[in-house]
Amino acid sequence: MTALQPLIELDDVTFGYGRDVVLSQVNLKIYPRDYLAVIGPNGGGKTTLIKIVLGLLHPWSGHVVYHVPRARGKLGYVPQHFTFDKSFPLRVADVVLTGKLGSRGLVRRYTQQDRRDVRAVLERLRLTHLEHVPIAELSGGQLQRVLIARALVSEPAILFLDEPTSSIDAESREILRQLLAELNERIPIVTITHDLTSLLPVVKHIACVNRQLFYHDGAEIPEETLERVYGCPVEVIAHGVPHRVLPEHRG
Amino acid sequence: MDRLLEILSYEFVRNALVAGILASVLCGLVGTFVVVKRLVFISGGISHAAFGGLGMCYFLGLNPTLGAVAVAVLCAVTLGLADSEHVESRDAMIGVLWAVGMAVGIIFIHLTPGYAPNLMTYLFGNILTVSRGDLIMSLALDGAVVSIVVLFFKEFVAIAFDETFAAVQGIPVRALLTLLLVLIALSVVVLIQVVGIVLVIALLTIPPLIGLMLVRDFVGVLLASIGVGLAITLVGLCLSYVYDVPSGPAIVLLGALLMAVVYLAQKVRRASVRVLPDGPRA
Repeated sequence: MTALQPLIELDDVTFGYGRDVVLSQVNLKIYPRDYLAVIGPNGGGKTTLIKIVLGLLHPWSGHVVYHVPRARGKLGYVPQHFTFDKSFPLRVADVVLTGKLGSRGLVRRYTQQDRRDVRAVLERLRLTHLEHVPIAELSGGQLQRVLIARALVSEPAILFLDEPTSSIDAESREILRQLLAELNERIPIVTITHDLTSLLPVVKHIACVNRQLFYHDGAEIPEETLERVYGCPVEVIAHGVPHRVLPEHRG
Repeated sequence: MDRLLEILSYEFVRNALVAGILASVLCGLVGTFVVVKRLVFISGGISHAAFGGLGMCYFLGLNPTLGAVAVAVLCAVTLGLADSEHVESRDAMIGVLWAVGMAVGIIFIHLTPGYAPNLMTYLFGNILTVSRGDLIMSLALDGAVVSIVVLFFKEFVAIAFDETFAAVQGIPVRALLTLLLVLIALSVVVLIQVVGIVLVIALLTIPPLIGLMLVRDFVGVLLASIGVGLAITLVGLCLSYVYDVPSGPAIVLLGALLMAVVYLAQKVRRASVRVLPDGPRA
C-alpha cells in the first residue's frame, strides 16, 4: 500500500476499567479501503478497542484522531449478536430503520426517504423477502445481515464489526464474507474475529490485541506473535507461505 | 341495563371508570418499555419509594399525590444518572430506596394526629375513592407522559432495543433513559390510585406481557397492552363491585388469569401447528 493518509489514528491510547488496565499504549492507523482484522484472546481488549474508536469509551490517556467526518451515522457498527434481546418485538425493516436514528436527529420522525433507503439496503443484502418478518423468527445468519443492513443504511464512512461470523452456519458465513469483500471496495472494514483463517484471503492488516497491540500486514502474521498474544503455542493454518519471524514488533 | 345506568349515576363510579381508563393507557404505553427494557425492579423501587413522599405530605397536610410525584421523580433521576462508575451496585441501591421510602411513609402516617388514614388504601389502592382532584392530576400526568413518549418514540424504541448502537448514532442514551424512568415515576403515581403501591408492578407488567404474546411489532404490542389494560381494569372493577371484593386485587388477579389463558391457548395452537409437517407430502 502506498503512503495513504489514515482515516482514524489511535495515538498512545491507554484505557481500563476500575483499576485494571485493559489496553496499554495502543497505536493504530486505519486506512481508506483497509480491511483490518482484530484478533486476540477473550478479555484481551478487542471489543474495548472498537468501543474507544467508536467514541463510546474515553481513553485514560492518549488520543483518537479522526480524519473522517464524525457526523452521526458515519461510523457504522455491527455489535456481537448476543448483546441484545432477540425476542424484541420489531420487524426487520424497523430494526434497519434505527440505523437512520443519528442522521434524522432527536424528536424528528423517520421520513419516506428513510424508508426508501431501508428498502434499498435490504435489496442490496438480499433481505427484501424478510422486510416484514419479526426478528425473533430469523436465523443467526439472517439476523447478522439485518444488523449489517442497519449499519449500512446511514452510508457509513467506515464499518466496524464485532465477531460477525461467530455462531452462524457455514452458508451464511460465506454470504457474509462475500458481502464484506464487496463493501470493502468502497469503505474500510474493521472486524473482530475468531475465525482469521477464512478471512485471510481478503484481510489487508491484522491487529493482535492482548493489552498491547501488535500490527501486521495481511499475510505476515508470525507464529511468534500469536504465541505472545495468546500466551500459548498456536497453530497457524492458512498463511500459504512458510511463516516469517519479524525481528521485532512495530508499535 | 337499568342497573348499569343506576351504577353509572354515582359520581364515584364514573370517577373510578375514568381513573381506570387513564391508568390503562399508561400501563400499556410505559409498561411495554418497562418489560422489554427489563426495568421491572427499578419501577418497583420507584413506586415504593414514592410512599415516603406520600406519607410526608400527608403529615404536613399537603396533597399526598404531590409528595408521591416529587419523590418518585427524584428517585428516577437519581437512579437514572447513577451509572456503574459511581455506584457499586445499582441493584442494591434500588433495594435501599424501596425500603427507606416505605419506612418513611409508614412513620409519617403513624405520626399524623387525628384519624389515621387506612394504610391499606395506599398499599393496595381503592379506585372507588378517587376524587375529582385526583382525576385532574391523573389527566395532566397522562397527557404529559403520552406526549413525551410520542415525541421521543423512535429514540426510546432504539435505546430499548440496542443501547450501544443508539449511542454510536450519537443519541444521548443516559439522558433519555433517565427521562424514561421519570415517565415511569409519573405513571406509577397514576397507577397507585387504582391498584396501590404494592400492586402497581402488576399493571406495568401483565398487560405488556400479554401484548407480547399476541403481537410481534412494537406499536402493535403497545396498542394491545393498552387494550388488555382497559379490559382487565374495567371488568375487574365490575367484578369487584358485584362480588364486593377489593378492586386492586380483583384487577390484578383477572390480569393474571387472562395471561394464563392466553399462554395456554398459544401452547395448544403451536402444538397443533407442529403436527402438520408429519402429514402426507405432495
